Amino acid sequence: MKSSKESTRIARQLFKASVNEAGIDESVVRIIMGKLKNEKPRGYLQVLEKYFDLLRLEVERNRAVIESAVELDEPTRDRVVSDLRKKYGDRIEPEFTTDGSLLGGMRIRVGSDVWDGSVRNRIERLSEKFN
Amino acid sequence: MSNILQELESEISALKTSVTKSNVGIVREIGDGVAKVEGLSDVMLNEMVEFPGGLYGLALNLEETEVGCILLGDGLHVKEGDEVRSTGRLLSVPVGKGLLGRVVNSLGQSIDGKGDVESSETYPVEKIAPGIIPRQSVGVPVQTGILAIDAMIPIGRGQRELIIGDRSTGKTTVAIDTIISQAHQNRAAEEGKLKDHKPLYCIYVAVGQKQANIARTVATLEEAGAMDYTIVVNASASDSATNQYLAPYAGCAMGEWFMDNGMDALIVYDDLSKHAVAYRQVSLVLRRPSGREAYPGDVFYLHSRLLERSARLSDDNGDGSLTALPVIETQAGDVSAYIPTNVISITDGQIYLETDLFYQGIRPAISVGLSVSRVGSAAQTKAIKKVAGRTKLDLAQFRELQAFAQFGSDLDEKTKKQIDRGKRIVELFKQNQYSPIPVEVEVCLLWAMQNGYFDDVPVEKIRDCQAKMEEFLTTRKDSLLGKIRDEKAISDEINEEIKQAIEDFKSSYKA
Repeated sequence: MKSSKESTRIARQLFKASVNEAGIDESVVRIIMGKLKNEKPRGYLQVLEKYFDLLRLEVERNRAVIESAVELDEPTRDRVVSDLRKKYGDRIEPEFTTDGSLLGGMRIRVGSDVWDGSVRNRIERLSEKFN
Repeated sequence: MSNILQELESEISALKTSVTKSNVGIVREIGDGVAKVEGLSDVMLNEMVEFPGGLYGLALNLEETEVGCILLGDGLHVKEGDEVRSTGRLLSVPVGKGLLGRVVNSLGQSIDGKGDVESSETYPVEKIAPGIIPRQSVGVPVQTGILAIDAMIPIGRGQRELIIGDRSTGKTTVAIDTIISQAHQNRAAEEGKLKDHKPLYCIYVAVGQKQANIARTVATLEEAGAMDYTIVVNASASDSATNQYLAPYAGCAMGEWFMDNGMDALIVYDDLSKHAVAYRQVSLVLRRPSGREAYPGDVFYLHSRLLERSARLSDDNGDGSLTALPVIETQAGDVSAYIPTNVISITDGQIYLETDLFYQGIRPAISVGLSVSRVGSAAQTKAIKKVAGRTKLDLAQFRELQAFAQFGSDLDEKTKKQIDRGKRIVELFKQNQYSPIPVEVEVCLLWAMQNGYFDDVPVEKIRDCQAKMEEFLTTRKDSLLGKIRDEKAISDEINEEIKQAIEDFKSSYKA
């Protein structure tokens, strides 16, 4: 039985081979997936699961979720994306959603970083200060 | 009203244009008091993280793709997909004199039903121990009130003295007696009866014990009037492994406040064996590699960093001290097991309690041969040093000769005398629990033993003679006791007075 440490090590190596300066190389990912599926080496399921996790985290790291209380117009969206790309690089993939509970303003999440300028956040912070 | 309006206005204007940045993660796994969180890229080791619902955790495992956090509370409402936020803070507990007389949990929250604890300051639970330069040597005694300890295994303020033994050998009793003795001395100093006495505040950390035992201990301390000078930190057996792991550090933080503010404190960790077991559980659930006996590789560091925080600071740094009395429970008297040897190598001596002695009726069941205080007579007053100097040697010789005791008629006079003296010393050192003896009475008892005033008392009557001598001294020779208490040394004049007092007593005592 291949140990999970070994599977993790292999998955990490495959992940390193799948990522270049521009980000995830989809063609390399397809080649790796094809080989694993066809050849089915020992412990390939564990390797696949770990490889998938690493790819997913890389995608998450470069995904910017922009939540706003109301739908943003095109110029605002462009400005937000441009500012984000200046800070995090061109690999950022934006995703716009609306959330009425924010009451106003915006909440941007990029990977683990959250920039919260929503009215809801300000009210919560005000409430914390007085508590 | 206008003040609150102004405050509100300034708070709102401060919030108007600011955007907060936080670092978050998503819970991927939760169970056994541990949460695996994906994200939290900027979190640091031991940083507090906040779960939904106001629950806090500590980030202990910083791995490549996830962070292992231990929960500081009930995690039943936490589920996969919940967002976790880093706080940028270390875990801190309230400290100060407001905690005296209170029973708190590992987070410093009150659990005695007397309302919130009064505290204006917090101290971090994990802190780096004082370095070499801020320290000074241990030289002021901790009078435990236990004759055997004060005479032969003296403890000083700032020392770490391990109390080790099997189950039910009186380890906790030694610690509680010490705490009660400090309370008596503190009270006497407040009433002006004890001069030049710096109060010693006590912290009792209960790890993994039965709630009933802790309740009984608190009741004993309350009855003895010791709770006014004591903080009890409770992490019972029904608390999570996380709370049991944190409790000694929380107690140490409370003790450090006293030390940093020029006061003296004593902390009892009861017991570190259960603390190591709790840490093992936390480490195994965090999937850390296990070593000997399934303990994690850093179990030595667990205790060394805790005990190194006990010290005596130099005069320039306030002359405060934190004395530690860690307790370790052995199995079948095995002091060479993993955790006991670890803690023995860290501490400045040990008080070893033996089951055999306990069942022979020698209580406290202190094994003089295996017990040691590496500070030694530097932690004794001149008075005690003068009268207790030979006691350990006499007992050691007695133990050597005990095997020959059965050949009573075949021994020379000198050997018989040594055996008789040894038996009487053993009897003298027996003491009831929760009955600490004041140091001035200890001096008189040891003086009487050293000068042969117990030699004509039958061995089985020694305890009776001792009790009556104590009563005689406290009721009729209070001025002599006061002199010994104040001077802490036996001058020629005091020596004569003690001799007179003991002779007066012996003339009226009938065995």
